[in-house]
Amino acid sequence: MDVSAVVVLMDNLWVAIGAILVFFMIGGFILLEAGSTRMKNAGHIAGKTIFTAGIGTLVFWAVGYGFIYGEGNPFIGLSSFFYGDYSAADGGLTPAVDFSFQVMFALVSLTIAFGGFAERAKLSVYVIFAVLFSAFIYPVVAHWIWGGGWLADHGKQDFAGSTVVHLTGAMAALAATMILKPRIGKYNKDGSSNNLAGHNQVYTALGVLILWVGWFGFNGASTFGVADGFLGFVILNTQLAAGAGAIAAMFTVWAVTGKADVPTTLNGALAGLVAITASCGFVEPWAAVVIGLIGGIMVVFSMKLFDNMKLDDPIAALSVHGTVGVWGTLSNGLFAVPALSTDIGWGQAGLFYGGSFTQLGVQTLGVVASGAYAFIISFIILKVLDMVIGLRVSEEEEIMGLDISEHGSYGYPEQMEAESVKLTTAATIEK
Amino acid sequence: METYETIKQWKEQHISSFLDSSKSLNEFHDQVMLKVLKVALRKMNKSPIPCQFTWFITGSGGRLEQGLISDQDHGIVYLNSNGENEAYFLALGEEISYGLHIVGYPYCKGNIMSSNPVWCKSIEKWENQLMQWMEDESWEVMRYLQIFYDARQLFGNPENLVRLKKIIYQYQLQNPNLLKRIAANMKHVKNAIGPMGQIMVEQYGIYQGYINLKYTAFIPYVNSIRLLSIKEGVFENSTVDRLEKLSQMEQYKKLLKHCKSNFLHLIDVRMTILNAMNYDDTHYLNVKKLTNDQRKEIKKVLKDGKSLHDHVMALILQ
Repeated sequence: MDVSAVVVLMDNLWVAIGAILVFFMIGGFILLEAGSTRMKNAGHIAGKTIFTAGIGTLVFWAVGYGFIYGEGNPFIGLSSFFYGDYSAADGGLTPAVDFSFQVMFALVSLTIAFGGFAERAKLSVYVIFAVLFSAFIYPVVAHWIWGGGWLADHGKQDFAGSTVVHLTGAMAALAATMILKPRIGKYNKDGSSNNLAGHNQVYTALGVLILWVGWFGFNGASTFGVADGFLGFVILNTQLAAGAGAIAAMFTVWAVTGKADVPTTLNGALAGLVAITASCGFVEPWAAVVIGLIGGIMVVFSMKLFDNMKLDDPIAALSVHGTVGVWGTLSNGLFAVPALSTDIGWGQAGLFYGGSFTQLGVQTLGVVASGAYAFIISFIILKVLDMVIGLRVSEEEEIMGLDISEHGSYGYPEQMEAESVKLTTAATIEK
Repeated sequence: METYETIKQWKEQHISSFLDSSKSLNEFHDQVMLKVLKVALRKMNKSPIPCQFTWFITGSGGRLEQGLISDQDHGIVYLNSNGENEAYFLALGEEISYGLHIVGYPYCKGNIMSSNPVWCKSIEKWENQLMQWMEDESWEVMRYLQIFYDARQLFGNPENLVRLKKIIYQYQLQNPNLLKRIAANMKHVKNAIGPMGQIMVEQYGIYQGYINLKYTAFIPYVNSIRLLSIKEGVFENSTVDRLEKLSQMEQYKKLLKHCKSNFLHLIDVRMTILNAMNYDDTHYLNVKKLTNDQRKEIKKVLKDGKSLHDHVMALILQ
């Protein structure tokens, strides 16, 4: 076997490992989201994440992949439905390896979107929206930027998906948050807000750590191969930005509130990861640190801003994936170096290197167009669903928790059953 | 005949005319509580009272720093130690606590009430208890010791309290470690000014955007001044009176220069919180409603309080 054949196999292996790592991020999201919410919804959150991953996979297989990579027009791909190409590697990735990697990104984006539904949406809404998002929202944006669509023609740089995966998911989450309205008890009559604290910071931290590790696949395998060992550089940038994000968020929240809030610090690490996702293959390590630091600072103020706007975002999906997703995409337009952009024919160098606003303009266009599309379509879908079947569970179901109301059993049976006995007893005594 | 209910009504009718100064408000509270004591004594239905006793209040009431609404903190020192007296005064303590509760002083969450045997003792047993506390040095009793130091007699002979407080003063002269233990107990204060010079407000809940005056402003002043008072044997009760005494001492002149005016300002600010519906409300100040000048002023008070606290800590813990 000659060396080039070995390299091809290594490319395939690396991207397959990447697919596994990205899929494992779903585990990170389960812990992150369950830890950041209340006990009575923990089983529901874990369970719905698994079955919506199942739905997303089948829909992506049936139509999603085709809409992204099929032959079509600048707006959408229109072939390769019910994907079944089992041909062997021909100098590059096998189609199946490529598909496996791509489907995981769609699932991550879907899971981010569901962050905006937390603790109050009906199970049926998860099912329907999982289908529609995986068919008509994510694939369209992915086609525009990665599938040879109109933004790719403009030279849009999004190495691993700050816009495609994170912003798209966050925009759907924003639409859901707006239509669902805040959880019961989040805001007081005088407009002040309460901290409905998540039930397990350790889960949240482990969730972040798993996501962090998964991100090495997310970004690292977006090299689509092992050539020149470039994946190492991408992983280095990823690690630096995540670290910088955590530190920046912790110091910022401490400076603002006087306490080094743990959930905010954890969101800072995620912010660093989201921020570097677009630029991890385009910028120098020092710039990765700066990008991560700014992401970490932004996430703190963004969380506060959404809270003030009465947008109840239990797991900070809007801030981490939305606000910082935008920043990450724009940062390319500032920091992309010529050797990794202009010289290899992938867009232009950033403002600090090329001296022009060209790339920054392209990045901005990408953010606005993709963000607007994802938001508007999600909003329409959810609004219609709201009118037809209603998005939100009843007040009673929300108070008892979605574990019992939607699934019939608790994630923490001993704890929650003891709680409900207490409530019943109190009610009896009052009578 | 006066009952707790009639006292309650009387209090509600008249309190508004005592709101022009902290002094008159505190005198009014004293009056109300004394009325409660009288009813409680009558309800005990025992004449004469078995022995002489002193009924004291402590906490903010002890320091003459009560706001509009205040929970109850009080205790009893009686003269003769015997089983019968013990039973009588504990029962009286329970009656008083109940009466105060009815009249509008909620029960003390920390159980600092005459109904609690720890706070209702003969003078001899009080002496033993104080000695035990000081020798024990555990975290909890250091707090009791500070609370006791704020005790002020509302009924009975005030000398009993001075006698007991002198024990604390004398003990610390021989055992400098006591002050260090008290200092360690009060070391934590809620930070009021952020690293960027901003006033730190509550992040969540119905007091979002408010500052907690009790923890960020009053406590640093009150605790620091009390600690210096224990050290120097100042037996005055109010923080302002303590400050006056301490300021005359050469070693504190510089440190306490603006303290009195700051503290008086703080009391004035709290007197402006008139829409309080419960005890918690009286501690929270809405920063957004302050003018720029008011905000500057309160910021100075908060900063000076922190700096006073830091200085006193350094002085004692050095």
